[in-house]
Amino acid sequence: MRAISRLGQLVLGGLEWLGGLTGLAVTLIRVGLRRPWGIDDIASQMVHLGVRSLPIALFISVFIGMILAVQFGSALRDFGATMALGDASSLALVRELVPTLLALTVGSKMAAGISAELGSMKVTEQIDAVAALGADPIKKLVWPRVVAATLSQPLLVVMGNVIALLGGMLIGEWVYGVPAGYFYETYIDELAPMDYIQSLTKGTAFGLLVGLIGCYQGFNTKFGTEAVGVSTTETVVAISIWIIIADFFITMMFY
Amino acid sequence: MGDTVQASVPVIEFVGVSKAFGENSVYENMNLTVRPGETLTIIGGSGQGKSVCLKMMIGLLRVDAGVVRVAGEDVAGLDGEGLRRVRRRVAYVFQGGALFDSMNVLDNIGYALREHTAMDDIAIRERALACLDLVAMPSDMLDAMPANLSGGQRKRVALARSIAIEPEVILYDEPTTGLDPRNITRIGDMIKKLQKELRVTSVVVTHDMPTARKVSDRVAMLYQRSFPFIGTVEQIWHSELAEVRDFVHGTLRRTSGTGATIVTEAPHGA
Ligand SMILES: Nc1ncnc2c1ncn2[C@@H]1O[C@H](COP(=O)(O)OP(=O)(O)O)[C@@H](O)[C@H]1O
Ligand SMILES: [Mg+2]
Repeated sequence: MRAISRLGQLVLGGLEWLGGLTGLAVTLIRVGLRRPWGIDDIASQMVHLGVRSLPIALFISVFIGMILAVQFGSALRDFGATMALGDASSLALVRELVPTLLALTVGSKMAAGISAELGSMKVTEQIDAVAALGADPIKKLVWPRVVAATLSQPLLVVMGNVIALLGGMLIGEWVYGVPAGYFYETYIDELAPMDYIQSLTKGTAFGLLVGLIGCYQGFNTKFGTEAVGVSTTETVVAISIWIIIADFFITMMFY
Repeated sequence: MGDTVQASVPVIEFVGVSKAFGENSVYENMNLTVRPGETLTIIGGSGQGKSVCLKMMIGLLRVDAGVVRVAGEDVAGLDGEGLRRVRRRVAYVFQGGALFDSMNVLDNIGYALREHTAMDDIAIRERALACLDLVAMPSDMLDAMPANLSGGQRKRVALARSIAIEPEVILYDEPTTGLDPRNITRIGDMIKKLQKELRVTSVVVTHDMPTARKVSDRVAMLYQRSFPFIGTVEQIWHSELAEVRDFVHGTLRRTSGTGATIVTEAPHGA
């Protein structure tokens, strides 16, 4: 009985959270589509969220490319088919691994950062202060962050895709003796326009989730500075769960 | 819907207001009136809802039942634009200052000016300097970041930020809490000065009885989810009612370490 009622509470809590997140998204569309567009704030958030994430995104991408090439390479060698390394890696990397792993790493980092920043603004009444001084906190604080995350994440995915290709190419050349030019040709050949679209769709959707969840958690931080830690941790958990769920549905959509 | 407040219309008025957060009921059928030009002080125990009261005045929190009127207008009925209008006339000085950490003092003070007016950078800078002067801060503070300010300086910059748009009403949330005696005196003097020079109406939430006594025309005591005790400073100070006496003089005794005059009769051990 206890377990059932706890499960019930968990489900209700989850639904309430989802309702709140949806509410924020709806409000955001309403205030976002009004002038001013807040271009300056969006640009500075893109630097803050996107550009600062570049080094780690590149680092992760090159390793994803290398790891996948090693894994596929050893399997292909059993069949004497190492020359197919480029064809084999490209789809998994572009459609799945680069966008998803970047979202789970760099995206989580962005969301946690947003949530901690807005959470400490919440507990120090800075969000109330924005409203009291005559501005709209959703427009001023949420809008630029969500837009910046939604634009930054696919851009990082584009760069990640290129770098992962290079990582695979390195392993192909050094470990399996696949000439870099050949790897590149077979890699690119395998990719259809829809694959790039899928990659970018994931990047964009994950970026949107990162921005929305980060901001929602920040705005809903409870009292006290320890509350900032709690909401930030919850953000990372929520991001992992929703990225994977969204990943599943987007993958099905393109299937 | 005229812009001028008539003497007969209360600046802010609560009628039958109730407010709860989940199970936690903060106000029940609460009434309170703020008169034009007065300084009303709200006293009451910690966590009882003083900040909530101030937040309901400018629609940062919505009432569950009852009405809040600002200059005769029902705050609940206002859209975003209406709320902006109210917030231009009624400024809020937050407890910890709530300065924007990411902006320097100039941008903090200029924030409301950018939101509400078409003033250019030069005019905003001039106004910011004038406001800093009003709160007795040197002009070279304009470029300072909030993180580098002391507690007293923060409160004064926060005050400067709130008066920059020349509000008609200023709400102070515990303006002297956490300050040393010198800054407490200073903030109290500033509240009085603004009241006299800018002729603003003020609502001051405080635990600090000497400041309350210094700045107030009337005092309202929050007790059991409403304001059953309201009167002039002298009435509240010399009240025979046990609840009021205990609170006023009990608090005085507890805060006497911060420079308050020590009251001889100290009822029941706190
Ligand atoms: N935004 C909020 N959400 C939930 N509870 C709140 C909120 N703001 C205040 N409360 C609760 O309302 C009560 C009164 O708070 P407050 O007005 O801050 O007290 P104080 O008199 O010390 O200023 C407290 O119990 C507080 O926990
Ligand atoms: Mg308070």
